[in-house]
Amino acid sequence: MKMNGGRNVRPGGGKDMEGDMSSPTSLTETRHSSPVPRRDAKPKLAVYWTGSCGGCDVSFLEVGEAIVEVLSRVEIVFWPALVDAKRSDLEALPPGSIDVALINGVIRTEENAEMAKLLRAKSKYIVAYGACAHLGGVPSLADRWGKEEIFREVFGKGFRPGPPPGANGEAALPDLLDAAVPLEDVVRVDYVVPGCPPPAPLISRFFGALLGGEMPEPPHVFANVKALCEECQRVRHDDRRIERIVRPHEVLPDPETCLLEQGLICMGPVTRGGCNALCPAAGMPCTGCLGPTPEAGDPGTAMLSALASLVRFEDEGEEYFPKEDGVLEALADPLGTFYMYSFGRFRRKR
Amino acid sequence: MASVNGFEPRIVAFLCRWCSYAGADLAGTSRLKYPPNIIPIRVPCSGRVDPQWVLEAFERGADGVFIGGCHPGDCHYVSGNYKTRRRVVLLKKLLPQLGIEPERLRLEWISATEGQRFAQVVTEFVRELKELGPIVAGGDALRVTRDGQVQIER
Amino acid sequence: MSKRSDARNLSTRHPSRVTRRGQRIGVFVCHCGHNIAGVVDVKRVAEELSRYPGVVYATDYEYMCSDPGQDLIKRAIREHRLSGVVVAACSPSMHETTFRRAAEEAGLNPYLVECANIREHCSWVHNPGLEATEKAVRITRTMVEKVKGNMPLEPVEVSHADKCLVVGGGIAGIQAALDVAEAGYEVILAERSPTIGGHMAQLSETFPTLDCSQCILTPKMVEVERHPNIRLLVNAEVEEISGFIGNYRVRIRKRPAYVDPDLCNLCGECEKVCPVRVPNEFDRGLLERGAIYIPFPQAVPSTYTLDEETCLGIKPLICGKCAEVCEPGAIDFDMSEEVIEEEVGAIILATGYDLYETKALPEYSPEDPDVIDPLQFERLLSATGPTRGEIRRPSDGKVPKTVVFIKCAGSRDPELHKPYCSAICCMYTAKHALLYKHAVPDGRAIVFYIDIRAPGKGYEEFIHRVMEEDRVLYIRGKVAKVFREGDKLIVWGVDTLSGQRVEVEADLVVLAMAVVPPEGVEELARTLRLSCLDENGFLKEAHPKLRPLETLAGGIFIAGAAQGPKDIPQAVTQGSGAAAKAISLLSAPVLTHSPEVAEVDEELCSGCRVCAPLCPYGAITVEEVAQVNELLCEGCGTCVAACPSGALSLRNLDDAQVERMVEAALAELEGAREAVEVKGG
Repeated sequence: MKMNGGRNVRPGGGKDMEGDMSSPTSLTETRHSSPVPRRDAKPKLAVYWTGSCGGCDVSFLEVGEAIVEVLSRVEIVFWPALVDAKRSDLEALPPGSIDVALINGVIRTEENAEMAKLLRAKSKYIVAYGACAHLGGVPSLADRWGKEEIFREVFGKGFRPGPPPGANGEAALPDLLDAAVPLEDVVRVDYVVPGCPPPAPLISRFFGALLGGEMPEPPHVFANVKALCEECQRVRHDDRRIERIVRPHEVLPDPETCLLEQGLICMGPVTRGGCNALCPAAGMPCTGCLGPTPEAGDPGTAMLSALASLVRFEDEGEEYFPKEDGVLEALADPLGTFYMYSFGRFRRKR
Repeated sequence: MASVNGFEPRIVAFLCRWCSYAGADLAGTSRLKYPPNIIPIRVPCSGRVDPQWVLEAFERGADGVFIGGCHPGDCHYVSGNYKTRRRVVLLKKLLPQLGIEPERLRLEWISATEGQRFAQVVTEFVRELKELGPIVAGGDALRVTRDGQVQIER
Repeated sequence: MSKRSDARNLSTRHPSRVTRRGQRIGVFVCHCGHNIAGVVDVKRVAEELSRYPGVVYATDYEYMCSDPGQDLIKRAIREHRLSGVVVAACSPSMHETTFRRAAEEAGLNPYLVECANIREHCSWVHNPGLEATEKAVRITRTMVEKVKGNMPLEPVEVSHADKCLVVGGGIAGIQAALDVAEAGYEVILAERSPTIGGHMAQLSETFPTLDCSQCILTPKMVEVERHPNIRLLVNAEVEEISGFIGNYRVRIRKRPAYVDPDLCNLCGECEKVCPVRVPNEFDRGLLERGAIYIPFPQAVPSTYTLDEETCLGIKPLICGKCAEVCEPGAIDFDMSEEVIEEEVGAIILATGYDLYETKALPEYSPEDPDVIDPLQFERLLSATGPTRGEIRRPSDGKVPKTVVFIKCAGSRDPELHKPYCSAICCMYTAKHALLYKHAVPDGRAIVFYIDIRAPGKGYEEFIHRVMEEDRVLYIRGKVAKVFREGDKLIVWGVDTLSGQRVEVEADLVVLAMAVVPPEGVEELARTLRLSCLDENGFLKEAHPKLRPLETLAGGIFIAGAAQGPKDIPQAVTQGSGAAAKAISLLSAPVLTHSPEVAEVDEELCSGCRVCAPLCPYGAITVEEVAQVNELLCEGCGTCVAACPSGALSLRNLDDAQVERMVEAALAELEGAREAVEVKGG
């Protein structure tokens, strides 16, 4: 079993899994104990996006025609990407009146955090939808620098998100938080549908459970416990080793063999399955968007260790060191490669 | 940690049972003196050292992490140290991206007969860490130039 | 109603790895006289630890390893119902076993006892005072955290088979088989050629004593055949070895000889009528044999053999003339191959060597019939050889008057050929030169050498004798080229000591070819499923200095030239040594193995196969999930650190334990920083 990145926060908010799961975090929301609606009821659904690319909202269409069925069996009370609504509409809802709120996107700005808390107060269950809400996602790679450094780099000196000249404070852009954080850092999260964006099988898994009245007790991640390799059809050889590291545009991989063996950095071994390994099936290495398996701990060090262990030539010994180093050097950006979606969760300022 | 003046770095050391831990024992038997900043943890092989432990140690305030293994070719378990070496190579590429100077991680091959060397290496490491200063937890990423040089701007 | 599904969905810290609740750890801080107490305030350490979570009892004592010290531990275990013990004292390499045994006597599982090294790693290397004391506290706390995470373990026991397999019937294999058999164990000796004896049987005399090789070898060969504990299988190759220490399953394929050894009377009529003529392996091609033949008259088993490969046809039968003339009716064309499967406890690999082929040195005209290798020269010297012991050269049968011996042919050449020294060439070349001069007193023997290596008993003296008494000419220099010119072979060499080029007109040239592993060793190594060949293809020893007869596979030993070039006394020594190792294994009632090994959580393993190639012991097999053979696993933990999904863990050193140990090592020390008290001045 591996350690997590030194932090106890997991879906469920701030508590060790063996401990008390029902107590709220310090933020102002209450926990509702009523069960998820039964089969015949139409759950009230909210979908919101924070620091998001929009892909998660589009991803619902991946389930194909089933989306029609899904939409007919939910009542959408708040979904800015689809339905016109104002913040005041949300604020007017009674607490806990939303059955399930799916929030996608990283929490990057003060407004993102406010909205997340608002939804938490208004909802029975919060779902972190997509890699950004789950782990911070690609935008959380920004956390390798502080807010000041980012402003300096992007805008030059002296930028502050203040109001336009002559306007009052309300017109100001929301300030960035010190770091781009996953949803669970701000509110208690009940469920996670991971992925960038969540793949169709997992979206189906979620809605199937929700609409079938078979939701597991929270907290729960809608993905497999075992890593991708379990589902992947590629052949893995017992005497495998990695003799080069290449990027996807540099090779045309053999369709039968494990991509890792061919020098592509596939995060499969450390990433939850449930997507039917669709990227490796298409000849692209997995980049880890479903997040690490539960006991993997930090996916970056886990994969770093696996990769470094497998890089070797026909034998090991001092005479092979320069060759091995040559291969390892080809990994230009360990951080971006290993923590592409998860930097927000695993390596941030303390 | 008690100190008379100035900063005393804290070092966690993972020492392999058959070589470097025994080398450290020999330093003791020989009554060699070195600074007390280092806390050893015995592992059966340097190959057991998980890179996650290294990052954990830094996050918990270690200013330096030391890994002691057998000389190449001498590993009691044949090839564990070769894996360690490669893992450290990648770790040292990752560390500056996390805002940690790669010099804070030190991998040394120390045999069971190298008590002198153990004491020497520890003394050296403590001195280097004093110059580097305390670790900045969660600092900005360090800049790495094309030829692999790490630039520290603190 | 929602149900709790999939309990492993989130990190739940598997129950087997959870810190055991209700810990009652006892900490015992040793003074070790002044060794520790003179530098570290031991009472302060005990006091600090007594307040540490999980510690219910902490004390200090003068000498923990003494009888009263151990009694103190035992009493505390009983009185305080301790669930774990930490002794803060000297290095675990000193007394871990002592304290574990004491705890076991008091009813505590020995794996719940750890040593905190506050002597070698603390009091002996630091100055007396606060810093040393604080470090001792930290070190002890880390070991308390380790003990808290330890599980009680039992050594793994396994029964074992009682037989021993020896692969290879050369002198090393013969010696090993005889020694194991004499100790009372059943031995299966598998030899792939039709006779045992190996290369030693081909030799004429052995250095430095000039014993007749066959005379000293044959009694051992006969003993092998006669010995009631040895089952001798010739024409037999080991096809597959599976299993693990003490429990190997071997499959041996025995080719049919088509001759019943009990009926064959060695009359030789069959070979006379055999229409086939092929080069004879035993004479290295200097003689021919029939398809039905005996390798040499003293072959063991003593029988002719029909070689299926060179016979015109057996099934269906084409010729059959041999059977017609066989009076005892020993020839049976209906014989078929046998597959023999056995369970053995130990295996000794004594697969011997071969010579580097002369073809590899085209500059020496190897295709010329008068350029020969040393085993061919042995056959020329041998009374039972192609020339009945008269030295006559292969091309025209004339007695050579000038023989050139070229040493280091293919050896000590890292760029083009073999980098190593073949160990025996200096001695056998001297022997060849001497024997030649005895046979042809007016002949000239010239040896081109780079060095002369004569380390054994009587070896140096032998070389001197050859140089001084037998007047063999030694020229220090390499030979650039050998080529035929009419009746002679022209040898172009150099004399480095005089700096001059040398040209010799030779009648015969003998190349001291490098010793190399024989064909088929790679396949054999592959069936063992782990890397047991060194960079030159010889069988690899577990440790070059201290474990020269073991491989990394427990229960598989090596002996003789299979491990590397060596002479007969070394091969015999190793044969006996490997036998001793095998006997030691076979005589143990059960085999035990440390339980601190890796294990796989099958609910987490995705079969990613990152682990299996990393294990030097071949302890991991992967079907759908990985499995660790706890008898082969040595507990290094390399696979555990590499496992990306955390499915692999190392018993009593898992990541959760180390996390807490690191935390304990770095935690701020609370409490007043008053001056500490240490003993003495």
